[in-house]
Amino acid sequence: MSDVERPAVADVDRRSAVGPSRRRIAPIIALVVAAVLGGLFWVLATSKSGVDDKTGLVASPLIDRPAPAVRSTTIDDQPFDLARRKGSWVVVNFFNSRCVPCKAEHPELLKFVQQQATFPEGAEFYSFVQPPNSDADIRSFFAERGGNWPVIRDDDGRINVAFGVAQVPETFIIDPDGVVRVRWAGVVDAVTLSQLVQQQRDLYGVR
Amino acid sequence: MSRAASLKRWPGWVLLVLVVAGFLAFGSTRDGGARTPEERLEEISKQLACPICGGETVYESRNTSSASIRSEIKAQVSTTDASDDEIIAYVVQQFGAKTQLLPRATGFESLVWVLPAVALVCAAVGLFFSFRRWQRNVDTVPDDADRAQVEAALAADDAPAIDVLENEVAES
Amino acid sequence: MFGSVVIAEGVNGLLGHSALIVGFAACLFGALGLVTATTLRNQRLLRTVQPYGWIALIGAVVAIAVMVKGLITRDWSLAYVQKVGSYDTPALFNFTAVWSALEGSILLWLLLLAVYTAIVMRRYRHRLADPMVAWALVVMFIVTGFFFFLALGPTDAFRAAATPDFTRCCKGPNPLLQNHVLVLFHPPILYLGFVGFTVPFAFAIAALVTGRVGEGWLVETRRWALFAWGFLTLGVILGGWWSYEVLGWGGVWAWDPVENASFLPWLTGTAYIHSVMVQERRGMLRVWNLSLLVATFSLTILGTFLTRSGVVNSVHAFSDSTIGPYLLGAFGVIVAVSLVLIGWRGDRLRSPGAIDSPVSREGAFLANNVLFTLFAFVILLGTVFPLIVEAKDNRKIAVGSPFFDTMSQPIGLVLLFLMAVAPALPWRKASGELLRDRLFWPAWCGAGALAFAVFVGATDFAPLMAFGLAGFAAGAALRQLALATRRQGYRGLLGRTNGGMIVHLGIILIAVALAASNSYTRAGEFTVNKGETIEFAGHTFTLVGLTDFKTVRAVGIKAEISIDGGQAYAPAISKYTANGMDIATPSVKTGFTKDIYLTLENGSKPSTGEAKIKVFIKPMVVWLWVGGLMCAFGTLLAAFPGRNRRKPTDPVSAAIDLSDAPPEPTKEAAGV
Repeated sequence: MSDVERPAVADVDRRSAVGPSRRRIAPIIALVVAAVLGGLFWVLATSKSGVDDKTGLVASPLIDRPAPAVRSTTIDDQPFDLARRKGSWVVVNFFNSRCVPCKAEHPELLKFVQQQATFPEGAEFYSFVQPPNSDADIRSFFAERGGNWPVIRDDDGRINVAFGVAQVPETFIIDPDGVVRVRWAGVVDAVTLSQLVQQQRDLYGVR
Repeated sequence: MSRAASLKRWPGWVLLVLVVAGFLAFGSTRDGGARTPEERLEEISKQLACPICGGETVYESRNTSSASIRSEIKAQVSTTDASDDEIIAYVVQQFGAKTQLLPRATGFESLVWVLPAVALVCAAVGLFFSFRRWQRNVDTVPDDADRAQVEAALAADDAPAIDVLENEVAES
Repeated sequence: MFGSVVIAEGVNGLLGHSALIVGFAACLFGALGLVTATTLRNQRLLRTVQPYGWIALIGAVVAIAVMVKGLITRDWSLAYVQKVGSYDTPALFNFTAVWSALEGSILLWLLLLAVYTAIVMRRYRHRLADPMVAWALVVMFIVTGFFFFLALGPTDAFRAAATPDFTRCCKGPNPLLQNHVLVLFHPPILYLGFVGFTVPFAFAIAALVTGRVGEGWLVETRRWALFAWGFLTLGVILGGWWSYEVLGWGGVWAWDPVENASFLPWLTGTAYIHSVMVQERRGMLRVWNLSLLVATFSLTILGTFLTRSGVVNSVHAFSDSTIGPYLLGAFGVIVAVSLVLIGWRGDRLRSPGAIDSPVSREGAFLANNVLFTLFAFVILLGTVFPLIVEAKDNRKIAVGSPFFDTMSQPIGLVLLFLMAVAPALPWRKASGELLRDRLFWPAWCGAGALAFAVFVGATDFAPLMAFGLAGFAAGAALRQLALATRRQGYRGLLGRTNGGMIVHLGIILIAVALAASNSYTRAGEFTVNKGETIEFAGHTFTLVGLTDFKTVRAVGIKAEISIDGGQAYAPAISKYTANGMDIATPSVKTGFTKDIYLTLENGSKPSTGEAKIKVFIKPMVVWLWVGGLMCAFGTLLAAFPGRNRRKPTDPVSAAIDLSDAPPEPTKEAAGV
């Protein structure tokens, strides 16, 4: 191994003659590699893990924009057109009969609807079905748990897509002008929902 | 044998290039027929991520929301004249950027496209310089310093080193 | 031991913990003993180290055995058994439940690592006095010890649990992990590949520590690396097969982060087993080869981190856990230590020699390496890019299969081209005439493949290029094999080059099958009534039956569909009652040129006899699996060479044996 050191002098002379030498480039490459890896390390170390199961107020491109047009039928085969509900505050809830959180949420919705019915200008309430869900299943869901508000079919799921609903339950509050004001993801309770509606009324008026 | 050898000179290769170019041109330009709505549905749904199921595409996913998105795409494909990109943009607008599987080529996201190109260029430039350096080494004729080293090594009576050095001198 | 303060520990928990502690201690003593004995040159101490390899192995084996016993006897005192066990799981899936969640998969990893460590210890037991072997074993012990630590602390598989509440717990493994027999093969084989790269990595580190960065360490690790590579390849292919058989969307590869995590070390590993030949022949690319090994090993750890910590969104990911920081830390330590070592030994790593011409075998290997590394970079970038955007702007984006498809297509085509040209290239320098001569028939093979593809109706530029280049590459590989077998008979199939050519043929088959099945799949969705026949893509499908079924674990619907009036295929959907998860079971009619892939969709109603089915016609899929098998077979041939390592057919240029020679000054002086 002693051979390595012997020609040290010649080494230096010759290297300068051969263009950019490794000795000059190597530290730069090492620095770049170290910086990239350091950056990767930092990104990974600071990234939050886990899925974001957000419950509560969430962003939506629909907020402060007119609600999507919804024309469908209720499970009692009545025609339904969301645009015709203008003039009063409307709360819509997306659900399906198999979803466990929806089952947990249902009593709260019942409470909310009963409460709103006592107000002169109470909000209207509608449930939108997340497909696939048969009429029979929905009827037995309501027969078991109560509630007689209109339930609107969405057999091909286009209403769900229009509202950007991926995971039920979700609740939207729409103002008397037909503008979406609030989107709530996940289970909501009666008190929170009434408060939300009241806040919005205070902000935008009853009309 | 000589005929085979002459075949492998330019006539054979020119023929090969012509054949390949012809088949490629014919095969890639012939009409596969207009895209059916099913094909469009497939292509569009492969560009979208299911909003809630860990990175699966809408095409693969069996989730209910993916089914809804598929029927939305189907409806738009068959009843409107929206382009593929418009349909994708609509779904992405509804469900958020996390459903768009093909990153945008603008803003910060463009880095995901630019960096690989930069890496390729860096590698190519690096290789170019390496080869140039190696080329110069090859061209180097042994000079007095080299000969002196050979002498020194011979004097040191270091057998493996001699082999190596002799090899190198012979090569250069 | 950890976190079981309140709950009394059962017998199995105690046994498992004890085994892990013994194994951990063995690794600790093994590593410390070896370091001390090597630095002090203490022969007696060195001899006492030998048993620790076995003790660690015994610890890992006992731990796994206890876990299996716990699952078989349904020992609900273990939290892990409550997590993945159930009374209803059949014996096979109850066994594979060992690795069906995070804690158990770490145990499996640990077991394989301990097996490798013990084998290395046994194989080199007479050479422990060699510092390089000693340091390699130190690295093995440290890595094994780290996994013992993980199994003891952060992912404690033997954690004691409270009395089970059967309404909430004990639902068995994820339904996807209990309905296909491949769950028995894919994870262990993939892990054999992942874990196997620890051995070459250990020798690389040892070479750096001892400063013997010549070619000696390469010779030691060549087969280990090949072995690991073979298993990794087979594991990845089996994963694709499993996905095809179980997920019901007709695909084999979705560019999911977990799939990418297994693909990344494969890419760098493949680059390594090619570029290592340049170092063996020419003594060059030393830093590069070491870096590739470090990259491969650290990518296995990084991949495990990505998929096990929950930072990336994936269907495969186990739910988030406490293991993340430890794995990330390990990744950081591995990379930092390796970089420092390479920097420290940089003087000795400067390789002599030069690559004379880009048009040479080593030039092709270099190009291969650039492409594989670029490929790995692209995939790593795409996988972590959403995290980068989130860190910068705090918004969520996705990077998915369209991106990876777009990027991998050109890279794949260029790799096919290299695969065609490289086997014909001689070392050092190729002349135009030589190439013209050697590549002539392979090129016509490519033209023939292209013509055939066009003739049978293939369209589009990219797949046609793939077929043409695949034919070219296959021609080159076959030419090599033909020359070798003509001279040496069956022995011509052995050895690295020729075994490698068989691997090439396997890869070519895979490339062709992927190009064909990705480009020409036809899919249709139909609603069929019982007794009705539909026609699609030249085949008829008759719904013969549609029935409800009920098993202990699931309820579901099964359709019977007769294809072309022949045998009935039975796709099904089942709902696993315990988890409430819908699982589709596709049914596939496999053929040499195409698969007919049937799935039953939600919305089918046995009561009315109405079924919703999806039909995929997927060309060439079976060749994916054949190609995978050929890769495994070829790796085997490559790993056991004939007696003549240098074959007479090889283009000759005297290799410089640098393993014993001191680094020679001449080229150093030339500033290489």
